[in-house]
Amino acid sequence: MISWKLFSLLVYAAQWTVLYSAISISIGFVMSAGICSATLSRNRALAFAGKLYVSFFRGVPLLVQLLLIYYLLPGVGLDVPSHVAAIAGMALCTSAYQAEILRGGFASVPRGLVEAAEMSGFSRLAIFRRIRMPIAVKLTMPALISEAIMMLKSSSLISVVGVVELTRMAQNLAASTYKPMEIYTAAGFVYLVINLVLVALGYGLEKKLRWGRI
Amino acid sequence: MSLTPAIRVRGLVKRFGQTTVLDGIDLDAGRGEVTCLIGPSGSGKSTLLRCIAFLEEATDGFIEIDGEPLGFAAGPSGERMRLPQSAIRPVRSRVGMVFQQFNLWPHMTALGNVSEALVIVRGMKRRDAEARAMAELEKVGLSGRASHYPSELSGGQQQRVAIARALALEPRIMLFDEPTSSLDPELTGEVLNVMRDLAKTGMTMLVVTHEIGFAASVGAKIVFLDHGKLLVQGTPGEVFGKPRHPRIEQFLDTYLDRGAATLL
Amino acid sequence: MSFDLDLVLSFGPQILTALAITIALWVAGSGLGLVLGFFIAVARRYGGKPVDTLLMLPVELIRGTPFLVQIFLLYYGGPYVGLSLDKTVAGLLGLTVYGAAYYSELWRAGFDAIPKGHLEAADCVGLDRSQTMRRIILPEMTMLVLPSMVNMTILMLKETAILSIISVPELTLVVSAIGTEYYAFVESFTILALLYWGLVELCGAAGRHAERRLSKYRFSVS
Repeated sequence: MISWKLFSLLVYAAQWTVLYSAISISIGFVMSAGICSATLSRNRALAFAGKLYVSFFRGVPLLVQLLLIYYLLPGVGLDVPSHVAAIAGMALCTSAYQAEILRGGFASVPRGLVEAAEMSGFSRLAIFRRIRMPIAVKLTMPALISEAIMMLKSSSLISVVGVVELTRMAQNLAASTYKPMEIYTAAGFVYLVINLVLVALGYGLEKKLRWGRI
Repeated sequence: MSLTPAIRVRGLVKRFGQTTVLDGIDLDAGRGEVTCLIGPSGSGKSTLLRCIAFLEEATDGFIEIDGEPLGFAAGPSGERMRLPQSAIRPVRSRVGMVFQQFNLWPHMTALGNVSEALVIVRGMKRRDAEARAMAELEKVGLSGRASHYPSELSGGQQQRVAIARALALEPRIMLFDEPTSSLDPELTGEVLNVMRDLAKTGMTMLVVTHEIGFAASVGAKIVFLDHGKLLVQGTPGEVFGKPRHPRIEQFLDTYLDRGAATLL
Repeated sequence: MSFDLDLVLSFGPQILTALAITIALWVAGSGLGLVLGFFIAVARRYGGKPVDTLLMLPVELIRGTPFLVQIFLLYYGGPYVGLSLDKTVAGLLGLTVYGAAYYSELWRAGFDAIPKGHLEAADCVGLDRSQTMRRIILPEMTMLVLPSMVNMTILMLKETAILSIISVPELTLVVSAIGTEYYAFVESFTILALLYWGLVELCGAAGRHAERRLSKYRFSVS
């Protein structure tokens, strides 16, 4: 077993994991809305650019993306701190996944619901705001939450570009205490707890929306 | 009754790619009357209704609602011109539609479904809109279910809410696209009763249905479509009375059991 | 900043070897994970409540923690409990176990998605349990789970890159080593990204092709 002091260091580092993940998931969500509308756009160049973006960031391992950004930015004269590069990398990656999830959500809004709104005289904007958006978000909520959980776990990779978070802290502690078994088990436990909290949050959020299946 | 019919359809053609779904339909639906569209599956009756709702754009031909062109009008030399959106909206707003799949918005209560357009489209205050909506729900016998979500209602109740939703916007014409086809037999009656009551108020109704009994008893006019063409039209007596058109005979045989067909 | 592609390309043979190792790890890890995952799913589904609960624990532990932490635990923690593995072996083992946990959930979802009526129909025409499994459940399930299996297999390819962190001589390690050694970061990481992107798109296209073929089969039987 490891001491409470070591464990509390891991818990302390976990707040960076949560913070970096939360920031990149949020930035990624805002970006994904734009990318999703680009892929659905009638402008073919825009739609192609959107699809290319989604394909690239979903097709390259996050680790490679992080290394690329980490080394590319100084190359083009942008000297940013490593945690900023890490957040940028994670946001770019998750935005592609979230855009794809949203696209699926919009595609599965039943056409009849939109037609009913058309027959009621809704404008295109009103249909988007009052009908398509809420239903798409509800439909994609479980997928968005698993993407958030996926991202939280993937944030362990930013340890590679030198950002201190849970995994990096565990690495440091494992090296200095010679107790990798215990330290990494404890770190895994902390990740698990954060994920369970996220799952519970998502479950509560879904329950709050009383309306059921579509 | 004025001379212009509530709905006038002339030479309507609708093609999906190579398939011709409607092949030159001429149809008049009288004001204050119930017109029932019947015919085998794939005969084009739902497509015709959807064209009149402007949910589909016809490939050729013209539709007039209360004498005003819907979507397309004849130009000076008879050519077909698409009207601007601003000219389509007011004509379309006279038409209410009830769908086979109800299409209630799942994230709004029954009251929300009925009041939403009053707020968003008509600009009413939420309170006033809900009072109006409540009155409409009362008419279909569902004021007690106002705060239920669609998933908490039976199919028949959902369809009655959908009728209230359409009526709240005070349409001149109500279109029904197989309103009871996705309902269990015991729930069909409650929806048909609401439609009967509505017919008695003098609402102009165009109903696509397989409920031959309803069509025969409520319809002022029966229109039989087959392969995208209007085959027979007339009063229920003319269409269902003997001697019948052979295609109608065949249709009734397929859609009803023989015993029921002889009752007509 | 110059883009010196020739430098990186002069290491072609090394890069190709590393690519082969990546593909080998990917294929072996996914294949073994797929099979192990299937047995886990069958055991959880048909083995009774205790087996289900017993297997749920490791599956959820693996699905709830980062792959990198699992790999660290196995490779650096293993020797302390008498499990000293070569880095490539540790990598493959980790990848297999990680994949098995996820694949088992997909298989389970597949079992649940088969309409009960189809099994009742099989029962009615007199198929026994193993016949039902081989003739009804497996073919039908393959169709249902194929898209998510392809997604997971693509994820597995991307996870192999993480093995570079424990110095498994796969694509990411070899190419980034070239980049670091010759200060050709941008060139090497661009090549690296393109290689993965190409492989992922290839796998996705193969998956879509298989889906189309299977859906044709589905129409012909129904």
